[in-house]
Amino acid sequence: MTPAPEDTLPDRPPLDRPAVLAALQARIRRLERGGATAGEVAPIPLCEAIDRHLPGGGLARAGVHEVMAADPGAAAGFCAMALARTEGTVLWIAAEPDAWPPGLSRFGLGAANLVLVQARRPADALWAMEEALRCPGVAGALLVQAEIDMTAARRLQLAAEAGGALGLLLRPDAAAEAGSPADTLRPRGSGQAASVALTRWRVGALAGSGGGRHALGDPRWQLELLRCRGGQPREWQATWQPAAGELRVEGAEEAEAESRPARRRVPR
Amino acid sequence: MRRRCCRPPSLLDARPPQPGDLSETNGFDSAAFMAGAAPTPLPGAPPPQPGDLSETDGFDSAAFMAGAVSPPLPGAPPPQPGDLSETGGFASTAFMAGAVSLPPSPGPTPAGQITAAPEPGATSLALVMAGYLGMQQPGPDGGQRPPLALAGPRGTPRPTPGSHSFTVMAGPVPAIHLPSPAPTLVETARSRPTPAWPGLLPGPHDHLPTVMAGPVPAIHAPSPAPAPIRKGRPLPARPAISWPGPASRSAAQPNLAGLAAPAHRAATPAAPRRSLALHLPWLAAERRRIAGPWASWEAERQQRRIVAVDAKAAAAGISPGQTLADAQAILPDLSVEPAEPLADLAWLRRLALWANTVTPLAAPNPPDGLLLDITGVPHLHGGEQALLNKLVQHLARLGLTVRAAIAGAPAAAAALARAAPGCIVPPGEEAAALTPLPLSALRLPHGTATALHRLGLRQVGDVLRQPRGPLARRFGAALTLALDAATGQHPTPIQPLRPPAAFLASREFLEPLITREALDAVLEVLLGQLCRQLAEAGKGARRLLLLGFRVDGTLQALHIGTGLPARDPRHFARLFQPRMEKLEPGFGFERLTLEARFVEDHAAPQNSLPSQGGPSAEARQEALAALLDRLSQRLPVWRLEPRESHIPERAVLKRDPFAPIAGAAWSGPPRPLRLLRRPLALQVTAPLPDEPPIQLRHGSRVWRVQRAEGPERIEPEWWRPGPHPPFRDYYRVELTSGARLWVCRSGAVVPGETARWWLHGRFE
Repeated sequence: MTPAPEDTLPDRPPLDRPAVLAALQARIRRLERGGATAGEVAPIPLCEAIDRHLPGGGLARAGVHEVMAADPGAAAGFCAMALARTEGTVLWIAAEPDAWPPGLSRFGLGAANLVLVQARRPADALWAMEEALRCPGVAGALLVQAEIDMTAARRLQLAAEAGGALGLLLRPDAAAEAGSPADTLRPRGSGQAASVALTRWRVGALAGSGGGRHALGDPRWQLELLRCRGGQPREWQATWQPAAGELRVEGAEEAEAESRPARRRVPR
Repeated sequence: MRRRCCRPPSLLDARPPQPGDLSETNGFDSAAFMAGAAPTPLPGAPPPQPGDLSETDGFDSAAFMAGAVSPPLPGAPPPQPGDLSETGGFASTAFMAGAVSLPPSPGPTPAGQITAAPEPGATSLALVMAGYLGMQQPGPDGGQRPPLALAGPRGTPRPTPGSHSFTVMAGPVPAIHLPSPAPTLVETARSRPTPAWPGLLPGPHDHLPTVMAGPVPAIHAPSPAPAPIRKGRPLPARPAISWPGPASRSAAQPNLAGLAAPAHRAATPAAPRRSLALHLPWLAAERRRIAGPWASWEAERQQRRIVAVDAKAAAAGISPGQTLADAQAILPDLSVEPAEPLADLAWLRRLALWANTVTPLAAPNPPDGLLLDITGVPHLHGGEQALLNKLVQHLARLGLTVRAAIAGAPAAAAALARAAPGCIVPPGEEAAALTPLPLSALRLPHGTATALHRLGLRQVGDVLRQPRGPLARRFGAALTLALDAATGQHPTPIQPLRPPAAFLASREFLEPLITREALDAVLEVLLGQLCRQLAEAGKGARRLLLLGFRVDGTLQALHIGTGLPARDPRHFARLFQPRMEKLEPGFGFERLTLEARFVEDHAAPQNSLPSQGGPSAEARQEALAALLDRLSQRLPVWRLEPRESHIPERAVLKRDPFAPIAGAAWSGPPRPLRLLRRPLALQVTAPLPDEPPIQLRHGSRVWRVQRAEGPERIEPEWWRPGPHPPFRDYYRVELTSGARLWVCRSGAVVPGETARWWLHGRFE
């Protein structure tokens, strides 16, 4: 008794894999935000070349992103740029909040939008960060802390998903520990622990664009995307142009041409 | 090289140093923060201690009382012909008018006994006040009647050497009739020429009525007036007390305008106020829980006098005022202690706070009494008698002997509690109830009581029957004020320990609450009630106070504050939650009260439609305020406001997180992103003293400088006071690693000395 071949091979249309993948990804995104899909907010644009690479087209809100500071100044500048582009009230939580509005105003982060919170104990800092991320009135929050364990990071991520704010964890980079004078002020010991953050960046400084010995020029950063949920690691060298208020990736045209067929994702 | 002499960024906007500009060298000075901060009580406010119960919350209770709780003042009685010598009482009536603001009361002027004085223009504060008192009425032509003249001194002086004297002289010189021990001058006073008076003295006194037609006063003590006048010497142009002349009348007018205002309140009928007085005769002993005869003493002019006794000592005949030696002679086994008036008062205050369970208007009545305004309260307890019994029983459970009485006026209730405890006087019958009481019930000053006693006045009724004028003139305003307060003519309002809250929710429990769960549940209920009240009134609370009344008669308080007015019960509950563990229930709370102490207008936020996606702007703002409340309850939270200064530490000012921040973006040369709070000292190598550094060293670590910009010289702000630090030359340097730093050299380079370099910030 042999079954008829037409029974074992049902007549189905061929699977549209890209469409199925896109539908599944959208479903996962809905699940990640606890079903709150109504107010889907636009991600934070960094610069065109980087945004193309990131899933969702920018630094996603309602999530936590880790920034490892190979250079504290450059990393703070990167965070300030992201926070300023949230266009809302921003909390700067640190044991010694040293953000300075005259410098931050170059990134468009006005003093009226900046609230500083001093939390000397790590537990207090984490609590403040979680409360801030859970609050719908906060657009972004930055936590400067060396060590964040897995549970705490997961809590922060859930809080950000509930509240919709951009969370940034600014951590010193162990690899660049012996880098610069201000590292002497920094707490020691910071690891590359596993994290649940959406992305992890390492931000370092490069020699500026200045010409001579007496002209600094625009600052240049080494941006490394170490981890990215739903994306690939990548590395950029970018120039921050304070006059134009934008970040420009060097060699963006070639990178774009090279990465377009592979990296281009199906828009949601 | 760019040099910048430091001056305010825009000269037109240069402002002088402000009082709030405190931080001379450190922009993050906490003193400057506090000085510049708005009065939000949050960050620096100490948490309330369990014993810290005086929650006045910045209210001036006296001012509050004057505006809100003061009972309607009845009109002043017009002067009767029998009121001998209102002149002597003049100072007192003027004082009373100033103090309790008598309304104008029209009444017939005893015109038959007054004559016109030849000084029509002499008007003064006293004159106008007399007009308000009804002594001076506008004339028929609309103008003011000329001041009234006085007929002259009358009376039958009878010398009583050695005693305090009393005057019935209704003469025109009230100021010099003040009692003074000069009895030898009595005889000369009789020979005073009558008709020479009116013209001699300037105006204010001349108008005062000469009312000699009344009943002969019961007391005819001689008037020990100052000698110069009685001996017929020329009268002084002005009496000893300087009366305000005509020139000062304008200054006195605003007062009078203020005086007339409460007349409307006096005119409106209000429910009669009821007061309950508690008298704790043995409080000082019973609070120490001492058995056996006991007394406390205090030193008074080399003598130790008894100030408080307990029941056993009192039964043995020991009373306050005796010397300690006498008391110990009466009762050799008397245990004595020095008096602690402050501790006794603290006990009274605690009891008054506990009495807030009955009424929000409760006040201590030192040294040994409490006064409660129970208007509108008794029906909650089953009537006045039931309320009185309940209070007495409760205090008896605490081991305190208490005597209580209820009357219309607080002073009457206090007097009755002392002399006739348990008595409940219907409204308006205070005078009758007080009549049989001994004078000691009124707690008059010692000298006054003694003098009255010596004159044969033993009971309150005796004094009440006396004409008021002579009484006032002889004994001053205090006696008439005390009598008026006791009889309810001018009841003195109770000044509560804490001003009553406008919004209040409370719960009482049959079983005292002990557990945290029960407290949380009740707090939730109370918050719901209070927030409903606030919502109905369109208000939001800035500070909430949770009061726990324990069964042992003590009170515990917790308070929370918010930066913006709020009325979300969940928000308040979250703010209360970390503090609830500070409550110590002990044997349990029998009553919890939640009060909104500071209330502001608060409009309801508009809810957004679901299609708009996310909460509305107002809801976001409210959520942010709630977040900042929670954060600043636990951590320092602030905003930075830009300030016009080139000195980095002074370029921003710490403000509280709810303060509106207005400040233009920085427009000067580039500034670092992060500013080190404490600059880091560096050793720097530079090719020439004035050149940018080429190498930085901190400890054993060395960094090479690749590029440098600068210097940018920042001079001290010479227009500000104080010693100025030297100028600084700032360089922006880029290390070989790419890091960009802000380093400075302070002061000029002196040959032979190493320059001092600092790392002050880092750029992006």
